[in-house]
Amino acid sequence: MKSIRFLSFITSLMAVSIAWAEPAKEELDACCQAEVESAPFTQLSLYQLDTSYTSDAGKTVRLGDFRGQPVVLTMFFASCGYACPLLVSDVTKIKESLPAEIRDDVALVLVSFDVERDTPEALHQYKTERGLDDHWTLLHGNDDAVSELAALLGVKYKRENNGMYSHSNLITILNSEGEIAHQRAGLKGGLEETARAIVGVVNQE
Amino acid sequence: MSPHLRRRAPLWSLIGVIVLALTQGGIARGNTDGMTFIPAGVYAPLFTGPEDPDEIPVPSFFIDTQPVTNGDFLAFVQANPKWRRSQVSPIFADESYLKHWAGDLELGPLAPANSPIVHVSWFTARAYARWLGKRLPTTAEWERTAAVGYDGPDGKNDAVLNGDIYRWFASPTKATIPSATNARPNYLGVKGLFGYIWEWVSDFSTSMVTGESRGDSGLERDLFCSAGSVGAKETNDYAAFMRMALRSSLKANNNTSSLGFRCARDSEL
Repeated sequence: MKSIRFLSFITSLMAVSIAWAEPAKEELDACCQAEVESAPFTQLSLYQLDTSYTSDAGKTVRLGDFRGQPVVLTMFFASCGYACPLLVSDVTKIKESLPAEIRDDVALVLVSFDVERDTPEALHQYKTERGLDDHWTLLHGNDDAVSELAALLGVKYKRENNGMYSHSNLITILNSEGEIAHQRAGLKGGLEETARAIVGVVNQE
Repeated sequence: MSPHLRRRAPLWSLIGVIVLALTQGGIARGNTDGMTFIPAGVYAPLFTGPEDPDEIPVPSFFIDTQPVTNGDFLAFVQANPKWRRSQVSPIFADESYLKHWAGDLELGPLAPANSPIVHVSWFTARAYARWLGKRLPTTAEWERTAAVGYDGPDGKNDAVLNGDIYRWFASPTKATIPSATNARPNYLGVKGLFGYIWEWVSDFSTSMVTGESRGDSGLERDLFCSAGSVGAKETNDYAAFMRMALRSSLKANNNTSSLGFRCARDSEL
């Protein structure tokens, strides 16, 4: 009897140990898989990050999925009442000021700081309310994904006690390889320059 | 061999397998060797808005007892070629990454194996932590760990500890950083939080955005000399201001001669 009890103890120990070991293996795979897949990207490409986001359409998206076209990348959050609407309208202005032949080749990407409230559904609603067309992709990521991207872009942000975010206002242009080609900081001016940077990116290719 | 013992042999080998499985699992996931348990506590931010609480609760966690060493980091780059000096992407680590090492996989005289690693970026420190199934501590966790004295929970009024900190601030960075193994542990049992290196935290990029700073965050230069302590609550906590000023001046791919890190993990494994 005693040995049976001991054996069942051992079996449960095994189950525990397997439960411990399993997720660890997955984590390792995820880490090393990322290394393999990032190999073809250039040294300065943000697409080396293999982090996945969920889009406003509910799809799993990696930044590398935008490879091959210029990207206007902006971090924001949907419930922001001041700077973010300005940033979004600035991106719209930048797009409209582009020559017609390249206007539709540019991806407009918004990544939210607000990992809690800006779910893919909330982002979808925001997109609809703002009348943003299919050239826009709004992305939801976890804390890690947001802090990593912010670090790469040089965006500083902080969640305030009232649930709002303080953040740098930065619009980043990525070339077709995902390298930073231009950044527009602040909320005043610089739109023409940013549009020129996109034209420059397209002409380079 | 007695029949009794022979009958037991399969059981013992089973136990051996289980012990092996447990330790293997432990290494990959639940290992807290070399870490110190930090009980739940509070962190008092240096800057708070009018509606913010003065203290933020910090749940319990584990933190490395000492900073990560050159030897530790060597094992990491050996196992992960992508993070070697010659191969790392410049967006993750600038040109001074591991520049005190003699080579890609060679420490050399300026980087003793037991000394804290420096010349690492936020991205590389984070990759190291992930490799071990750990993470970087948050600012709140790090400051909560460092807020105690040598012999009591109140570090701000520990004259001996503060004397040691200021002496360190006043002395230039040594060409070779000594090992923190023999450092005097603080009240929580953690070593080398000052006196050797500065350390990365996971949320370093939140340091300088305060209250209603809605323009571009270009406050860095103004605050690097700790001018930020003017108007804040705890003006005597100079050390914490210095750390905050340093964090706010960093970019995630920077590597400096006095900046290293230690890892943390949640206390619920």
